[in-house]
Amino acid sequence: MSTRAAAWPAGGIQPDWTLTVLPSTQDESGRDEPLGDLDDRRLVELCLAGRVDAFDVVVERHQRVVYQLCFRFVRRHEDAADLTQEVFLRAYRGLRRFRGDATLATWLHRIGVNVCLNKVAGRKVPETPLDDAPHIPAAGDDPAVSFAKAREGARVRAAVARLPRKQRATLILRVYQDLSHREIALALGTTVGAVKANFFHALGNLKKILAEEASAKP
Amino acid sequence: MTHLSPDQVVDVAEGCADAAVAAHAARCASCRAKAESLLDAVRLAESDPPVEPSPLFWPHLAARIGNAVRREGARVPFWRSWTWRLAPIGAAAVLMVAIGIGARVWPGTPGGSPLVPAMPAGSPAQAAMEPSADVETADDPSWLLVSALSADVSVEEAEASGAWPPPGGADKALLQLDDAERMELARILRAELRTRGPVAPQGPGA
Repeated sequence: MSTRAAAWPAGGIQPDWTLTVLPSTQDESGRDEPLGDLDDRRLVELCLAGRVDAFDVVVERHQRVVYQLCFRFVRRHEDAADLTQEVFLRAYRGLRRFRGDATLATWLHRIGVNVCLNKVAGRKVPETPLDDAPHIPAAGDDPAVSFAKAREGARVRAAVARLPRKQRATLILRVYQDLSHREIALALGTTVGAVKANFFHALGNLKKILAEEASAKP
Repeated sequence: MTHLSPDQVVDVAEGCADAAVAAHAARCASCRAKAESLLDAVRLAESDPPVEPSPLFWPHLAARIGNAVRREGARVPFWRSWTWRLAPIGAAAVLMVAIGIGARVWPGTPGGSPLVPAMPAGSPAQAAMEPSADVETADDPSWLLVSALSADVSVEEAEASGAWPPPGGADKALLQLDDAERMELARILRAELRTRGPVAPQGPGA
């Protein structure tokens, strides 16, 4: 076999390059697969082998749901963007601890809930101005209807923010992030039964808070 | 009659209850009402629509996170940076100890002059060089090995081998001392000066 290595004289000139072996991104037919086509588990393997560009794909794939999760907790665009960055940084640092018993999305939700609950712990619930309401009226929407929708959305958001921590996290993950009870249990480190009970109480409390606010207004 | 538990009510509301639970809900108006109330609350919660930032925001956020991740990867672990900072001081300390032990174990060097200058008996510096009562340095094989290895090493050789602080290394180490360490150094120097007596001024004007 003729290789460059075999041609080197023993003890002679050494190569001025180094060989770094990275996991292959080739499919079974030997064709290079674009990173965007790889599944999350493969991307994590590549990240662990030092391919930071694989983590870029993870970010592109999951940033939207992580941002939306963070926004549900902090209700300010700038804070949500900061927290999203924090979530991905923590994920990157702890990538070796991702065991794959949950999906990467569920694992990111778990980190996200912890980061967000720490951020909002002990903080007074801010009033959401209607200007910050995320609802973008569709073309042709009646302005009065749009305004009423935005006001209702802000009212619900403020009520959700007043729920106890676990109930709030459960409701956000179930209603807004569309996670199953099992995924929520994995994300919150609890049982499916506890998740369902928290969900039940969260919805009951939400109705109660909204009813109290409605009766308190003149 | 036993009513449904909260998690069973959730199952009924979401349409995934098992047969027995579903049969109970069909018979029990109270449990059915709870499930319907739950669905009402879900509809209320859903009246807050999902956030939808500008499409231009996502590439910006991805780039920002990518930069932060790369900065994270480029960060030198703190232990490594500390090792490098402490390396000259550590090397100097090892050499000083080795020279000191060598001078004690083999007081007469081939040239006849000891490597460590004589210090007045009882001075703090001398006391620092004395082995404490509970350390048997003369019988300690590791000390003997260090002494044996360093006995024939001159300062110049140590410097050439890199086991000597670089120029300005001692000054840098001094600058890195905190207030308490500086005060302790000053105290040791003052005690040493007191033991040696006044130093005659030197220089052209003396």
